[in-house]
Amino acid sequence: MSSLQDPIRDGLKRGWKVLGGAHGARPERIVCDVAIIGSGAGAGISAELLARAGLQVVIIEEGPLKSSSDFNQKEAEAYPALYQESAGRKTADKAITILQGRCVGGSTTVNWTSSFRTPADTLRYWQQKFSLSDYTNDALAPYFQQAETRLSMGPWLVAPNENNDLLRRGAARLGIPAAAIARNVKGCWNLGSCGMGCPTNAKQSMLVTTIPTALDLGATLLVETRAEQFELANGRVQSVRCIAVKPNGAPVESSSSTTTIIAKHFVLAAGAINSAALLLRSQAPDPHGRLGRRTFLHPVVMSAAIMAQQVQAWAGAPQTIYTDHFLGTQPIDGPMGFKLEAPPLHPVIFASTVFGYGQQQAAMLAQFPHTHVLLALLRDGFHEEAAGGQVKLRGDGSAVLDYPLTDFVMAGARRALLAMMEIQFAAGARQVLPMHESARPYDSWAEGQQAVQALAMQPLLTKVVSAHVMGGCGLAGTQAQGVTRPDGVHWQLDNLSIHDGSIFPTSIGANPQLSIYGIVNRLTQGLVKRLTGQDLTLA
Amino acid sequence: MGAVSATVLILAGGATALLQPGLQQGRLSPGAQDVFTSVARAILDGTLPQEPAASQAALTGLVPRIDALVQALPPHAQAELSQLLGLLGTGVGRRTLAGLAPDWRSASIAEVQQALQSMRTSHLALRLQSYQALHDIVGAAYFSDVSTWPTLGYPGPLTI
Repeated sequence: MSSLQDPIRDGLKRGWKVLGGAHGARPERIVCDVAIIGSGAGAGISAELLARAGLQVVIIEEGPLKSSSDFNQKEAEAYPALYQESAGRKTADKAITILQGRCVGGSTTVNWTSSFRTPADTLRYWQQKFSLSDYTNDALAPYFQQAETRLSMGPWLVAPNENNDLLRRGAARLGIPAAAIARNVKGCWNLGSCGMGCPTNAKQSMLVTTIPTALDLGATLLVETRAEQFELANGRVQSVRCIAVKPNGAPVESSSSTTTIIAKHFVLAAGAINSAALLLRSQAPDPHGRLGRRTFLHPVVMSAAIMAQQVQAWAGAPQTIYTDHFLGTQPIDGPMGFKLEAPPLHPVIFASTVFGYGQQQAAMLAQFPHTHVLLALLRDGFHEEAAGGQVKLRGDGSAVLDYPLTDFVMAGARRALLAMMEIQFAAGARQVLPMHESARPYDSWAEGQQAVQALAMQPLLTKVVSAHVMGGCGLAGTQAQGVTRPDGVHWQLDNLSIHDGSIFPTSIGANPQLSIYGIVNRLTQGLVKRLTGQDLTLA
Repeated sequence: MGAVSATVLILAGGATALLQPGLQQGRLSPGAQDVFTSVARAILDGTLPQEPAASQAALTGLVPRIDALVQALPPHAQAELSQLLGLLGTGVGRRTLAGLAPDWRSASIAEVQQALQSMRTSHLALRLQSYQALHDIVGAAYFSDVSTWPTLGYPGPLTI
């Protein structure tokens, strides 16, 4: 436990209104101006602006309130406490493991700080295919700028760690340009523990920025509280029924653990998968069958390389170098493009990534300090054979994403494995191991290239993960094409806004946090204007 | 893994009362402990300490860590895992799903590794999913403890 200040504990001492879990019993009924479901990227931006507008805001978060005093840089603590399903959420066929946050601050509390605006290509596609004519670079630029200022986003001037520099060097040898990634940090200690919660409060997540601002302005935060269902009537949300949940998400069995929140306006920001699931549980109107469909993941495949030198991929800021080269080698609606980055490695995530068992696995595990990994984010949502997945409900009302990995997507995965392997050998790798059950370490590009061309690129055999969940309540300029209007309001429910990554009509093609901040910034400013007549900016 | 329930019914001939759930009050049943201890010995062969007493102590220490990992899982995942472990704990389940003839306690490391390999290369999604679940739980639970980090060459987090 660090001796540094903990702004959350300080805020609680100042009298923040936080209820649920150990913070005190929730009332049976709360009446407010705006109820916000979630406390992540979209919820935080919304909460700050709405609270600054003088509205009474209640924020409902299913996860716990954890802060820097709790962040011990230990995976065994972080994964169960801060992530959906203990960092083991999976798609219906178990072929994709999803990393998504579940705590105050949402995924922003556990992400790796990578900051990219929505690519122009992506916006152009939205304008053309989803009638989103005001989603242009120029129109959105000031909102991105405000978010970048508010969250201290800027160039990372410290030299990349070896795990990242290998991407830069290997790509350079092949004539592929790579660049530095901007990060939302202030006074970063270059530890590399971002994924376990920032222990120094350098990462400017919602936990240490917008949520505290809203709480200082009198907002109420309910934690360990899950929004189960909206009560709907006359084309409006009347209330949201919430229940207390245990650390593993199971309902607390108690007659006194239901809270009903009545509000004039509701902001749904529970994240992709969960937002769609809440609307499904509420039997929200869905006349065109769009709800939950077109949920995207930037499916990730990975390649591990053993280097002669120490890499120590656990140390130093994660994800500081990227290349978009392979997003531009074909049209956006052609064969799948992918973005390359270098993820951090820690023991637990490393052990579950290294395939195999026995002596073969032991040999790989012993090479941990020499292991460099690249990942490829496949850009889904721009081709009919990469149409994403559909959110469904299990018998107990919990959410599951059914995301079929089509041959088209797996062909992109094969090309990504080849691209990463070539870069790794160019960077001097002694051996490269694609993350696939049938692969083994290869000693040369010639050998590895032939092997990967012959791999059965099947789901489950190929290790596929996701850290970016998007879509399911897509924006569209016409009712038939989406769930959400261009101004963020649900097409059929007049007092419900959806302000999170679930509104993206396609995947972003870049790490999505800034896309959520910037776009939700514009949506919330519009909502504030409609509700109060005020003109507010985020920064 | 509603497929597990279907498989259970088919294999047990509908006599599902014979199937002991693998999780009891959220913790590994004795049968499930046997499954995990045997599987872990095979997966971590080469990683576990060489000296027999130390190796046994490491395996014994793994069980409570698996319990902790399982307790943190959401209800639907606990239910699936309980069914899987319950099935693997039966002779029929062990033979058909895992491909292992001898029981978990008496199977040798080589026999369990052969069974794991057959799951890993199976065309049946359920067998591959089950292999990956066992593999990932064993790895995550084992390396969540600081005592295992020296074998990885991992120095632990920087103190701040």
